[in-house]
Amino acid sequence: MRDTVDPEFASYVDARQGRWLRTAYLVYGDLERAEEMLLRAFTRLSLRWTKVDDPDAFVQRLLYQPALKPWNRVKAFVDEDDPVKLALAELTAAQRTVLVLLHLEELTEFEVADLLGLSHTAVHAHGLTAFSRFRTALGAGERRDAP
Amino acid sequence: MRREDVQPLLFRAADRLPEPDLADAAWAEGVAVRQRRRRTVLIGLVTVVAMAIIAAVLVEVGSDGNADITPPNNLPTNRPEYIPPSGQIAGIDFWVAPPPGSERFLDRLETPLGDRLQLPGRVKPLSEHKLDRIAAVVLAKNGASYEPFLLGSNASWSLAKVRLVPVDGVAPLSSGAISPDGRVVAFLQPGKLVTVDASTAEITDYDLPGGDLRSVSWLTDGQRILVSGLGVTYRVLVGEGGYNEPPVVRIEGSEDPDAATAPFRIETRAVLRYLAAGQWTEDSPLALPVQAWVGQTFSSASDGGTARLFVAQTLPQVPTRVSRAQVVAAISTLRTLPSRLLVLGEPLDSPPQGSDGAADHPFVREPGCCAVLGWYDEGNVLVRVHGWIVAWNLDTGRIRRVTELAVDTVALGPGLRP
Repeated sequence: MRDTVDPEFASYVDARQGRWLRTAYLVYGDLERAEEMLLRAFTRLSLRWTKVDDPDAFVQRLLYQPALKPWNRVKAFVDEDDPVKLALAELTAAQRTVLVLLHLEELTEFEVADLLGLSHTAVHAHGLTAFSRFRTALGAGERRDAP
Repeated sequence: MRREDVQPLLFRAADRLPEPDLADAAWAEGVAVRQRRRRTVLIGLVTVVAMAIIAAVLVEVGSDGNADITPPNNLPTNRPEYIPPSGQIAGIDFWVAPPPGSERFLDRLETPLGDRLQLPGRVKPLSEHKLDRIAAVVLAKNGASYEPFLLGSNASWSLAKVRLVPVDGVAPLSSGAISPDGRVVAFLQPGKLVTVDASTAEITDYDLPGGDLRSVSWLTDGQRILVSGLGVTYRVLVGEGGYNEPPVVRIEGSEDPDAATAPFRIETRAVLRYLAAGQWTEDSPLALPVQAWVGQTFSSASDGGTARLFVAQTLPQVPTRVSRAQVVAAISTLRTLPSRLLVLGEPLDSPPQGSDGAADHPFVREPGCCAVLGWYDEGNVLVRVHGWIVAWNLDTGRIRRVTELAVDTVALGPGLRP
């Protein structure tokens, strides 16, 4: 492993770090923690940079799976007054993660299931519940009212 | 709310985040992690090996906690030619030398002295045949004076062109006359000291204060000589000295003219170490049954050995009939090495009797017949006995003959060694 940063690695990180930081921020509800998790995922990637077949999946697994661990859960969006963030804070960690990945990253339920190590059924259920609670929290009515 | 409305809401919620720059930090952290991992692997390997060694040792140790060590069946032996000591005198192991008259039958130690040390028939002047290292010096009487014959390490003789007169009626040759490097010989003459450089044939005189001076002994630096007499000792500078160092300095004297030697001198109660200031300080105590010391003390070039001969008081360990036992004391100044004694015994049977019933004195080692002449190497002391020079090996206790003496006085130098 060379001491100076690999140019290909640098361009790869530069191209994705902004988007993944936003996603991680909404998943964890804490910017500092999101940055820390993203740096950790990129560090792990640097160790296996030439050996990883799908770097995107590798980083995203490292980035989002810890959010589901029971010992990693902390209250999200503390001291925020943005209604969207408050609505996300109402969700469980799994629901919030699935909602963000489905709607912000625009991944399919199968891709989300693969990233998070969950079954497709579980992702589907989390997605429905999360959407329903999210819109309720925003005062937009029950899900069944949605077209 | 429709599903399509969720994405803009989420984008807005995370819209004002700062732009991160994680590439360099992630790569640097990766390098650090890799180094830590390597270190951990190395420490783990070392730990595993150490634990394996400890486990192997513990397996060897019995279940009761005692080491499963059994003494060897065969005790370690000394060298094949080792002779066990005959006993102890004052806590020091001693050996008894072969009886006088048996020297001819001892194994021989090859030296430039040859089988018999005698004056050569033909000899070149020292100015024509210079010597690098002197093996021995003998004096030949020529009328009322003496001429010094020098034997080189190549077994060739040279004659120094200097006439020496007797000092107090005896030949002016001390046992310690040859310098440590084997190039210079020093002779005492009335009122002066004469040195002969064998490598340049240069003869130099050094004036001395008056006095009854009898012996010379070199300091180990080869630049100064101790000249001793009864109760007086001078240190004479014959080489490179210190700044403003006087050529002759009176230092601490002794009633024994042969006592002043360096770097050690053996006295009755202690081994003394010479100090540069011209004094001696006690190096180690000594408790030997000494009646009188004979000859000078000689120290090995290294290894801390020092040797001198003494006439012993009555020794219950070595009974004698017609003479006092003479003992060579080889004292080690290093605490880790043992000291040793060699008793020069009498003939095994009664010595030959003359018509008047008296013992055949020349055949008995009378006090004064014998003395230490120096060291062949770190393990062999050279001793003059009646008519012979023998070498006493301190490691084995064995005596070897060096040469038969056909001269009266001799001084030995480092040229003896190959």
